Amino acid sequence: MNDILTTFGLDWGKFIAQCLIVVVVYIILSKYAFGPVLAMLEERRARIEAGEKNLKEVEENMAKAEQKVQALLDEANGDAERLIAEARESSEALRSQKSQEAINEAQAIIEKAREASKLEHQTAMNELKRDFGHLVIEATSKVTGKVLDDGDQKRINEETAGQVSL
Amino acid sequence: MDLNPPMISLNSLSPLIAAGGLNAPELPSLAWFTNSIFVALIVTVGVLLFTRMATKSMKLIPDGKQNFVELVIEFLYNQVEGIVGKHVAPKAFPLLATIFIFVITANWFGLVPGVGTIGWGETNAPLSIEHMETPLLRPATADLNMTLALAVVFMFVWLWVSIAELGVLGTFLHIFGPKGGLKGALMWALMPIFFFVGLIEVISIVFRPMSLSLRLFGNVYAGETLLATMQTLGTTLGFPGWLSAISSVAFPLPFYFLEILIGALQATVFALLCAVYIKLSTSHEEH
Repeated sequence: MNDILTTFGLDWGKFIAQCLIVVVVYIILSKYAFGPVLAMLEERRARIEAGEKNLKEVEENMAKAEQKVQALLDEANGDAERLIAEARESSEALRSQKSQEAINEAQAIIEKAREASKLEHQTAMNELKRDFGHLVIEATSKVTGKVLDDGDQKRINEETAGQVSL
Repeated sequence: MDLNPPMISLNSLSPLIAAGGLNAPELPSLAWFTNSIFVALIVTVGVLLFTRMATKSMKLIPDGKQNFVELVIEFLYNQVEGIVGKHVAPKAFPLLATIFIFVITANWFGLVPGVGTIGWGETNAPLSIEHMETPLLRPATADLNMTLALAVVFMFVWLWVSIAELGVLGTFLHIFGPKGGLKGALMWALMPIFFFVGLIEVISIVFRPMSLSLRLFGNVYAGETLLATMQTLGTTLGFPGWLSAISSVAFPLPFYFLEILIGALQATVFALLCAVYIKLSTSHEEH
């Protein structure tokens, strides 16, 4: 074995020197390369993991917020529908009330007009009866040539008014 | 020093056989400082500088060098974790990743033009040599000292990880103890066999550094030899000077791509086997 190793150039001095080189490379790479790089990889992995976790939390919060928004929207829709229904009912009642008031007012106006008309008709009739009475009295006095006294005139007026039915 | 070992017949490639810079110029007080150690230092400094630049001011959103280093380390960590498990991965990963990054960088650095081809040798013209005898730069993994150093350091870390995971007694029982959940009389009856199997296991463990180091060394060394052979094939076949010059570039070119692949493959095999050894020694028996 020794002969083989010597033939291939094995020398303890050179061998120890090479061992030292290997150990130095091993130590320095471990400290200044592998350590920092593995730490950085671990930090990056932890950050990605934390990011994933945060993302999951954000998604959960978002889902909860969406549910909350949906609930609020549903509630708002319910309120809006209720308000619309109330407004519709209120407007219907108001419309009905106003219509009734208008009808009543119109009826009152009509009634008033009717009464005024009736009164006017009555007045006109009275005036007509009186004028007709005067005409009958005048005609009677001219036909008979007699001056009619107040009693005659009153009787003729009453008879005329009684016979005229307008 | 034996530059032409009998087991290697390619005499023209003798300098390449001198893995580890056996033939490199040696300073009196720096005998250990060979051309391959010099390359190993260049690779070390290159890897460390690059990773330091990439990780000096790290950002949460990476870019450029940081992105590349993170990509490599994350990929390697996932592979290691897949083999040794989540629990052992933090302990095993630094060395396995170091081995992979260092070996692949060293293997590919050996393919840089000039590495192994510029140096000293018998000159045939000014600034030209007939045969390379002592290259200025030698691929670090073409040096058995380096590959063995990688394997031995791994074995120490392997032992530490195994004991940290199972304890001293647990490691001993893992090797010599009964397997398959045997209990009672049958377990005691088979105990000698388990002990014998444990001895074989110990022998295989002892030979692991050799198998690991020789496999890597052999592959890289063979790759260097192949490239050098292809480079000088024109001259060997007696081509004219101009054709020989062209062939010295054209012939090795496809093999450079092959060596790029083999460089990555050998780094993967080395790191993968180390991971499997850790997995085998730290897996808990199901009782």
